Order: sequence, then C-alpha cells, then structure tokens
Amino acid sequence: MNHRFESALANVILYGSMVAVLVFFYVPIFTLIAFSFQEGRFLTLPFDGVSLKWYGALFQSGAALTALWNSTLIAVFATVFATAIGTMAAIVAVRYRFKGKRAFQGLAGAPLAFPQLLLGIVLLLWFSVLGRWFGFNTGIVTAIIGHIVYIAPFAMVIVAVQVYNFDPVLEDAARDCGASSWDVYRHVTIPLLWPGIFSAAIFAFLLSWGNFYITYSLAGSTRTIPTFIFSGIAVGSSPLYPAIATVVFIPGILLVILANRFRLRAARAG
Amino acid sequence: MTAAPILSITDVHKSYGTYPALKGVSLDVRQGEFIALVGPSGCGKTTLLKQVAGFEDTTSGTIRIEGEDMAGVPAALRPTSMVFQKLALFPHMTVAQNIGFPLKLRKVAPNVIATRVDDMIRLMELKPEYLKRYPKALSGGEQQRVALARSMISSPKLLLLDEPLSALDVKLKKVLQAELKRLHRSVGVTFVHVTHDLEEAMMLADRICVMRAGKILQLGEPADIYYRPADPFVAGFIGETNLMPITVTACSGAQVSYGSDEIVDAQGSLPASLVAGDVGQGPALMNVRPELIRRCDKDADVDCKLPATVTEVFTKGGTVQYRARSTQGLELAIEIQGTSHLPMQLGEDVWLGWAKKDIWVLKPGEA
Amino acid sequence: MDMEVSRSWRDPELWVKALPSVVLQTTCFLAPLVMTFILTFQKTQNFQLNWTWSLATWTDVFTKPHYWTILGHTLFMAVACVVVCIIIAFPIAYGLATRFKRLDNEIKVLITFAFITDATLKTFGWVLFLDKKGAANYLLAHLGFPAETVAFLFTDWATLLGMVYNLLPFAIFTIYLSIDNIDRSLILAAYDAGASKFRAFWEVTLPLSRPGIWAGSVLIFLLGVGVFLEPKVLGGGKSPMSAELIRQTFETRVNWPLGAALTLVLMVVAIFVVLLFSRVAGMRRAGA
Repeated sequence: MNHRFESALANVILYGSMVAVLVFFYVPIFTLIAFSFQEGRFLTLPFDGVSLKWYGALFQSGAALTALWNSTLIAVFATVFATAIGTMAAIVAVRYRFKGKRAFQGLAGAPLAFPQLLLGIVLLLWFSVLGRWFGFNTGIVTAIIGHIVYIAPFAMVIVAVQVYNFDPVLEDAARDCGASSWDVYRHVTIPLLWPGIFSAAIFAFLLSWGNFYITYSLAGSTRTIPTFIFSGIAVGSSPLYPAIATVVFIPGILLVILANRFRLRAARAG
Repeated sequence: MTAAPILSITDVHKSYGTYPALKGVSLDVRQGEFIALVGPSGCGKTTLLKQVAGFEDTTSGTIRIEGEDMAGVPAALRPTSMVFQKLALFPHMTVAQNIGFPLKLRKVAPNVIATRVDDMIRLMELKPEYLKRYPKALSGGEQQRVALARSMISSPKLLLLDEPLSALDVKLKKVLQAELKRLHRSVGVTFVHVTHDLEEAMMLADRICVMRAGKILQLGEPADIYYRPADPFVAGFIGETNLMPITVTACSGAQVSYGSDEIVDAQGSLPASLVAGDVGQGPALMNVRPELIRRCDKDADVDCKLPATVTEVFTKGGTVQYRARSTQGLELAIEIQGTSHLPMQLGEDVWLGWAKKDIWVLKPGEA
Repeated sequence: MDMEVSRSWRDPELWVKALPSVVLQTTCFLAPLVMTFILTFQKTQNFQLNWTWSLATWTDVFTKPHYWTILGHTLFMAVACVVVCIIIAFPIAYGLATRFKRLDNEIKVLITFAFITDATLKTFGWVLFLDKKGAANYLLAHLGFPAETVAFLFTDWATLLGMVYNLLPFAIFTIYLSIDNIDRSLILAAYDAGASKFRAFWEVTLPLSRPGIWAGSVLIFLLGVGVFLEPKVLGGGKSPMSAELIRQTFETRVNWPLGAALTLVLMVVAIFVVLLFSRVAGMRRAGA
C-alpha cells in the first residue's frame, strides 16, 4: 500500500464513521423535536399540521410543571452536595499519600461501575427497611441522597483531572509567602481548581436532572421529568411528551457548551 | 569575634518512610553570606532547603534562625522566602498581584503594597507595563525576576533559592547569575542557593557546601573546595581532575614522604599543608588539576614529571584540553591556555610536569 | 513532578476531606449491599417482610433454570454491546485524538450532550423513529421503499441498538483519553524506523490504547448487564433481561428476598466475568 492511498483510506474511514455516529446520536433527539411540533393529538406521521400548541399545553399541565419543579429541586441539592463531596475526594485521591489510599479510591468511586437500576433497588431496600424502623417513606429526600451517591464519584473523576494538572508547589509557594491553610485554599487552591469544580457541577446538574433509574426507584410517588416521560412513552401518547423533551434539551445543551468554554479557558491559562 | 550565625542547622535527619534523605547534617550560615549547596541529584540538597523553609518536618535535629528554634513553626511564619525551581508563579494572578501577594496576606494597606511592588519592579529592572500582565505572557527571564521580586518583597532574613536558573538557556543564565550577585550585594540578605551547576556555585557563592547521600562532605570557600577537596568524590565532582596513585611511606609532623612507580620525582616529600587531614601510611592519591600540568623537557628542573603520549586534543576556544596516557598506563587530563599554535600534537610523545606546591594528597575513597 | 504529599489519618487536611465520601459510600452503598445480602435469608408473607433465617430463597434461585436462562441472555447482550461499542468507538476516538483538530471541540460538545441527555427521552425518540408507522418508515416510503421496511422494534436487535446508543460514549471517552495520552514522538519514531502509517498504527497506537479499550469494555459490560429501559421500551419486554426480572420481583411479586438474591447473583456473575476476562487478557500479555 502506498502512503497516499493509506491516508485517503484512513480519512474516509475516520470522517465517515464520525459523521455516521453523530447522525446516530442525533436521530432520536431530532425525531423527538420534530414530533413536538405535531398539531394533531397523536404521535403519527404524516403530521396534521405544524404548531406550538403542545408547548402551550405543557405550561398549563400541572403534572408536567410539578415534575419540572421536582427535577430542578433534586438537581440543585444533588449538585451542591455531590460537587462538594467529589471535590474533596478528588484532592484526597490524587494529592495525598496515606494508608488505605487504594481502598479509599475504590470506595469513593465504586458506584461509577454499578448499574444504576440495581443501585436504585439496593438503596430502595435500604431506605424501606430504615423507613420501617424510623418511620419515613421514600420521597424527594431519598431521591436526592440516591443522586448524590451516584453523582459524587463522577464529580470526583472530573475534578481529579484538574487536580492532576495542578502543581502542588504553588501551595508551597503560597505558604512560603505567609499564607495560612485557609489562605492557601482561598487564594490558590480553589481558584485554580475552579474550572474543574465548575465543570463537575454542570455535569452533576445534568446527570441528576436527566436521571431516570435512581429517581424511579427512590422518589416514591414524586414525579420528575424523566419518570413523567417514562409513563408517557408510547406511540399512542400525545405530543405533550416530545414537547417536554425539547424543553429539557435547551438547558442541557447550553450547560454543556458553557462547561466546554470553561474547560478551554482553563486549558489556556494552565 | 564572629557574629552569631543567622541559620544554624544541627544534626538534622530526615527520612521518607524508610529512605534516609538527610543523615545528620550540621551547618552554620553567617549573616549576609551567599552559600551554595551543591551535589548530585538525590544528595539531599533540596530536602535540606525544604526543612529550612518549613515545608516538611525534620525527623530529628534542630534548625535555628537567628537563634530561634524553628521546630513546629509553619512555613508561613518563618522569616524565610523561597525561589522555586519551577518559579511557582500563580497563573491566575497578574504580575503585580503575584509580587504583592506576601504583603496582601500580611494585611498591608493596598496603597502601601502598590508602592512596595513599584520598588521591587525597579530593583529587579522589570518594565512597569508588565504589572498588569499574567506570568504566562512573560519570557523565562522576566518570570524569574518576578519570582525573585515576590520572594524579596516581604524582606526575608533568608532567601532560599532552589535551582531557579536550571531551566534557562546558557546566555540568559549568565545574565541572571550576574543579577543575583548584584542583588545579594545590594540588599544584604543571606542567600542559600541550591544548584547542581558548579561553575554557578563557584561564581556566586562565598562558601560552597558539597553534599552527597544525605551528608555534607565539605564546606569551604570556592578555592578551598577546588584546590583542596576533602576526598576523591569532591575532587572529581568539582570539575575535572587528575588523581594519581602514590604510596605514603612516612608522615612525621610537618613532612609527608611518598613514593610512586610512575612519577619521576626530585624529592618525594611534601609539607603537611598540602595533605588532606590524616592520610596515614599506605596508598593515597595525588590530586593535580589539569590546568596546573605543563609540558616540559625530559631534563627540565620541575618537581614532578612523567613521560606520556597525547591521545586526544579538544580545542575549547580560550583553552585546549588534552588527554594523555603515561608509559605505565595512567590517564591524564591537561588544560593549557590556548595560543595560536598547539603546544602538543596528537600522538606526540611528551614529558608532563607540575610543581610540588600544586599537589594535594588525598586518602583514597569512593570517587 | 512529585504530586503526592504524605498524610497521616490524624491530619485534619486528610480526614476532613475524606470523611464525607467515606460516610456517604459506607452508609448509602456498602451498608445497603450488606443488607441486601442479609435480606436474601428472609421471607415475605402477605407482602410483608418476615425476619426469619432461611435458605429458601437461595434454593429457589439455584433450582429454577428460568433465572439462569435470563441471566445468560443478559450476559450475551452485554458482551455483544461491548463488542459493537468498541468497534464503533475506536475510529471515533482515534479521529478525535489525531485528526479532527479544528472541529474537535464542537464534536466533543455534540457527543457530550448526546451522552448527558436523559436516557428515557432518547429511548422514546428511538421508539418514535423505529415504529412501524414511525419516522424511519415514513421517510423510506417516500424514497420508494416498501411499507414497513424497518421492522425490528420490539426485538433483541432494537434492545441492542438502544444499549449501544446509551453506552457508546463511555467507550469513546476512555479510548480517546488513552490515545490522547500516547506520546506523539513514539509514532514519529515508528515512521522514522520505516513503518507505514498502517504499520505504525498497528504496532504502536493500537497496543498503547489497550488500557482505554479495556476500561471502556469493563464499564460498558457492568452497566450493560444492568439495563432495564432498553429491553422494556425498545425490546417490548418480550425477552426480559435480568434487571427487568429483578424489578418485577420487587414490584409485582413483592418478593424482596428473591429480588435481593437475583441482584447479588447478577453482580457477582458480572464481576466474575470481568475477572475471568482480565485473567485471560493478562495471561495472553504475559505469554506474548
């Protein structure tokens, strides 16, 4: 094989598969967006007409708005706690050398490789047994706890990348300049880890906001957007559901772009 | 009478796990002195600096600064300031913020900080328009000056320099070496400078401290270390040298007698002042620096001489270096001030000679 | 660069930061797992948990082939998903790390968004696309294809499509990271030694990206054995996988001990398969 032929072949394979995969990724997403503009009552083709009426219906549907509110509430709490816990764990897992380091890394990251539905079920059993002993039911609080268990390891991994790129000698330099432990965190560690922490927070929010499995097991009778949509997945249901999906996409894509901007800026400064 | 040392290190040990990085180091540094710590990688020179700066706790031993025991005093509260190998400028702060950071932490008023930063900028000969830039936008040499300015602004009693010039190119290095020397003279602060560059140490330091495997081998002025090394390791570490085996036959007070199969020697005895400590009878090494050996005639009236064949010639601008092998197989290095014609040719059989006053006799040991 | 600083557990710098994770994952991950194990020795009566110690559940699990058939099917689907994902992900990751320098950020954003978007939404989108009267057939009919050309919704193929769709980004990310970490000069050295582009790829890039392929495979396999949405929604629930069986055991049959036992069996078998494969891979590498 000569070089030019090899290059051309490689380009065809690489660019071709890239385009194919991007199309593959966006087929269901664009299908949903398209169906949200169906004027008629049913999710069938051809459309009766194109309209925004289901978006109007969405904002009048109490159940949909409650689900939106619940998703947001759970996501905000889960983001704050999972990011804080994950950030601290990342510093411990990357920067410190101590007895039991491997065990710590394993424990703090374990839920990453645990199927979400099973995590949800195991936690459901746990909260049901505890609930019987202490008299509580599963609901929004147990859902938040489940989300934190699942998302904190993701946050840890994302912040860990930033910790790797952070030269610890800067902390020594700050101490040498007269900084107390708190000063070091405030003026050096946190500002320099900030891009990683911020990305982790955005990811945590999105993972929680779109989470189905854990919410499904742990939220009791509380509905979030994903569980609400799950109840409506059927061709026979109305275009209200694709409309919700489309509304949910918007903050998602904005936050992903924002996180990417932040990552790039951090890469340039570092 | 000498003044009390500003830094007094007594029998300091430091272990990382089971690895001993410092094995009993003692060192006194005088007020206003420029001292260089040199040695191969892993000799403990940077570890020692970290103990003084307070980044790590010593395993045992004491470190006193101006007589005050530093045990338990965190780095932030020690009157020391460090210039790091990688400079450690804060990438998220401007040059002005970097330099002013130590004062900001000490809650100095912003306008006072601004004035002091201006002073430092002038002292380090940095352009004022750099103040608002970020360190990444500066050249290596400029970053170096910013790092120095940040270290100097809090008026430390001890400035600790951890190989800050090692990453620079040769030309810039020379400029900044001169700058360091000037800075040291003008501010009168005590400098402790870690380096693996001997030329740099010789050029800058008042005294040089040679370390190896967690111990101090020798502490002395540059000329002492160079011409009167304590052992074969120091002799070889501080530039190229010739170590010729001899046998000490008698040492009686002021005189040391020796013999050698190789060297044609007029007398075979030396004053004790040219001998490192207690050599004792038996095998020893005769140390002669390459630039002290000259070509001579077979019958010339020099103290020591031997016949040899020239095996290599390296022209190094101002000087010419030769390698020669003596008739009995001894390898010698010779350095001669360059002239327009070469005093020795490759493959030539010559006589090499040196004066007795240039000899330094050592006990054999690990080189 | 020496990254690590020694710390003892008495140092607050260490334990204050480690404690939240340790407490969280001990009380809400390890303890529930232990309790799940304990639950398998209990019984349910009239939809109530009865605290009696018995091996009845485990006898049930080990005597009914039904559970094991489903488990076998689940493992098969997960392995198939791993193979397909790695084959698709490799050129994508390789291209991202080496070729598409100008567009790589836009591509990463697009992949990340597709990854982060809720699986229920995307699965729903697939249903609308693949349905007999869905978007795909509608478009194909307009191009002159016969009616209902795409007719694999509610089969294992649709389940596999959904699994690959939802898990593919894990393989892309892990393989991308390992290729991105390869020192460019190694590849240039291979060219310098006279290797063709293809040889350099085969002899240098591929072996060095093995950690990423392995990490992606393990992650996808472990997550793949636990899928529930895809077989239920895209597979139509016709050939259930373990997760669906477990969920039914809890919800419909309200048999907690059995559900707990099936959960543990699934996890243990999955981890066993991973260890087996890593053993085989390790032996192959040692033998090579």
